[in-house]
Amino acid sequence: MALADFLVSLLTVVSVYTLFGLGLNIKYGFTGLVDFGHVLYFMTGAYVTVVVTLPVAATSYEGIGGFALPQLLSGVPLGGLLAWFVAIFVAMVVAALLSLLVGVPTLRLREDYLAITALGIATILHTVVNDERWLFNGPFGVRDVHQPLAEAFPVSLGSFLVNLAVFGLVSVLVLAYIGYRVGDYVYGVDLRAAAMAAAAAVLVVAGLGAAALGGALVLGGVLVAVAGVVVLARGIGRADGFGRPLALFTALVFVAWHFGTPFFTAGPSGVLASAVWLFDPTAGADGGFTYGRFVLLVAVSFVAVAYWWCERTVNSPYGRVLRSIREDEDVPEALGKRTFRYKVQSMMFGSALAAAAGGLWATHIAFIDPTQFIADITFFAFTAVIIGGAANNRGVVVGTAVFWTLHTGTRFLNDYFPTEYATQLAALRVMLIGVLLMVILYYRSEGLLGEQTYDTGVAAEEGGRSE
Amino acid sequence: MVETGLIDAVAQGLVTGSIIAAGALGLSLVYSIAEVPNFAHGDMLTVGAYLALALNNPSEIPFVPNAVALPFAVAAVGAVVVAGVFGGIYEKAVFARFRDKDADLITMVIVSLGLALFLQNLVLFLAGSANVTYDTVRRVNVNVDVYATGSGLGVELTQRAGADLATLDAWGYGWLAVVAVLAVAVAAGVAVYRWRSADTGYERVHFVSPRVLAVATTLAVAAGGAALTRGGTVATSNPAFSTRIGVSWKYGAILAVMLATMLCMNYVLKRTKTGRAMRATADDQSLARVRGVDIDRVQLVVWVLAAVLAAIAGVLLGWYASNLNPNMGFNLLLPVFAAVIVGGIDSPYGAALGGLLVGLSMDVGVYLLPAEFATYRTAIAFVILVAVLLVTPEGLWGDA
Repeated sequence: MALADFLVSLLTVVSVYTLFGLGLNIKYGFTGLVDFGHVLYFMTGAYVTVVVTLPVAATSYEGIGGFALPQLLSGVPLGGLLAWFVAIFVAMVVAALLSLLVGVPTLRLREDYLAITALGIATILHTVVNDERWLFNGPFGVRDVHQPLAEAFPVSLGSFLVNLAVFGLVSVLVLAYIGYRVGDYVYGVDLRAAAMAAAAAVLVVAGLGAAALGGALVLGGVLVAVAGVVVLARGIGRADGFGRPLALFTALVFVAWHFGTPFFTAGPSGVLASAVWLFDPTAGADGGFTYGRFVLLVAVSFVAVAYWWCERTVNSPYGRVLRSIREDEDVPEALGKRTFRYKVQSMMFGSALAAAAGGLWATHIAFIDPTQFIADITFFAFTAVIIGGAANNRGVVVGTAVFWTLHTGTRFLNDYFPTEYATQLAALRVMLIGVLLMVILYYRSEGLLGEQTYDTGVAAEEGGRSE
Repeated sequence: MVETGLIDAVAQGLVTGSIIAAGALGLSLVYSIAEVPNFAHGDMLTVGAYLALALNNPSEIPFVPNAVALPFAVAAVGAVVVAGVFGGIYEKAVFARFRDKDADLITMVIVSLGLALFLQNLVLFLAGSANVTYDTVRRVNVNVDVYATGSGLGVELTQRAGADLATLDAWGYGWLAVVAVLAVAVAAGVAVYRWRSADTGYERVHFVSPRVLAVATTLAVAAGGAALTRGGTVATSNPAFSTRIGVSWKYGAILAVMLATMLCMNYVLKRTKTGRAMRATADDQSLARVRGVDIDRVQLVVWVLAAVLAAIAGVLLGWYASNLNPNMGFNLLLPVFAAVIVGGIDSPYGAALGGLLVGLSMDVGVYLLPAEFATYRTAIAFVILVAVLLVTPEGLWGDA
């Protein structure tokens, strides 16, 4: 798999889980509801989206459904896409109603009781989906996932050169924009910290590169990479804040990985392929824009809309009530707010976002079964939200990107060990996630970015500023 | 042909319930005294069970040298001791630090979740995901078949020998004897209750609650009476009612270990200075501190005790199910939490009773429901949990 394809796949996964995390952040970060059953709504979203759009006689499927929405809407222009949007909407409504059913009895309880009951309901409904074949085909999962517009891809604009020019230009512009934003942020970094971050990046890249060659270099390479991390930590310790050196380090490592690796494996053409990452030269006769990239685009749009909506919500008086519930429920209650209603609405809203993430996930992965919706997904989302900073929507994006990059990135370790140790490596990864969770809560409980600032200050404090 | 019935399900439920009770007792101590809703408690069960496996049957674990293989009982005791040390490590390395930072309840929940992920995957990492078993002496179960006929109550002990059943022993009781023994037993129980609860007052702390003592007396007198009035065989060809109860020495051993554990815990809580300090801390931590209770020491003892109880429950669970896997404890987390909340989180005795109640409901419920619902044992515990939370959120025996 080309590097660009891997990047696209990773970004799609990050987008889906960011959407999932934004939903969790509404519940946990802003309202203080410890919903350990968040994955339930992800599962609901995935299954409802798939079943609503499933053809009538799906192969080896014995569950309910086959509502064949795309076929019903086939007369309408772009009917397949419209059906998909309708399915996502239905999934969000179903998940919101399900969380209403879960929330009404449990949200009156103490926060720890909510955690255990939410985990319980999610576990039991997971068992139901896994064991009842008549429902959603049980452990065999669902194939025939409707992928809207899939037949139109790969999109080609006529000739290879036109494709390369247009899609390549778009890719380079996207990279340039991201580079500009990162550069703008890093600019003004303490020079010594910047030098140490750069040195750390060189050490880590050189170390991991040497380790990747295998053989006796593995141990030495890992040691060099660890030395790089130590240098980075010292560099950060000298700077005012850790954000800029860390961003510089991350950007340098990304550039080295994204452009350096293909240079060594495929030469200058590999670098070009990485630069024009939105263009797949191997797709179709003339190359083109693949379906995977289209799904990424859709996922990113969903995240953008959800992010905007979450920002709107938490920056409104409504969001202020949610935060006051988190801090001390008696206060908004005393001010006449019906806090129980707010909590239920927060739950429904967060669950709807999780359901949209589930629908996107199903479209991305094209096959769903119950093993994709285990409780660990919830715990991973908690970890990601806490890494980035609870009650910070930007933190969810950063935390999810960091978490899933580390989680996916460490899979390359599997190449160095016999396949019978795959379970061990997966277990080791989750062990480290558990440690990471405890370490972050202890040393930096506010996460990388801390709680975000709001523009709904109390009027008296901010000089009568209106909202 | 005699079928197993409700009484068999009750017997199974008692064993399951006592295992859950041990887990719940530890969790309730941590919950009320350390104020941690410990989501790692299930995985502490798993750790205890696998420690015993490492001592008893190391060949099942790839990374453990295959040198020592202790008898099961010795390995179990060793595992419980080592697990207690682990409990101290959890407290010192994790929870004491967060307590010093005044971490709130939600943070503690998530910290314990991190520990749960760590422990569960540590076991998976070291031992793999295969289902493994202890190396124990296997004995064939004995069936106690009870027949109610017109002339009296018949009892037969049968055992599977090859393809068919061998009858080991058979005896019977006349109806008059049955009624008389039951009446005497109930009368003895009531008498003991009256006698022990006569001096109940604010100052008096019973070592064993009069109700528990009364029930124990009733059971003991009934058993003694049954042994005394044992008569000749009753014709069992055409019984009005018959049922089979599967009995194994394993069940007896588990119940006996649990009873001993509960008595020890009762002694610790009621008769030792540390136990009083623990109860005082649970009631009001600041007040206890002012009165000179060393809170850090109490917390350490609580975590060690919780880990020990979890290890006992884990070892017995692995033995009872003849199966260990890295998810065994986490799968029991929901019933254990249900037991604690049903009993009231402030009450260790409530937690133990809650454990019995949840275990009984799970096994009796699975018996009463159609066979395809057998995978929903945990769901039964959950339904009880939600019902109790909705009706009385402080639990059935809370604030006692």
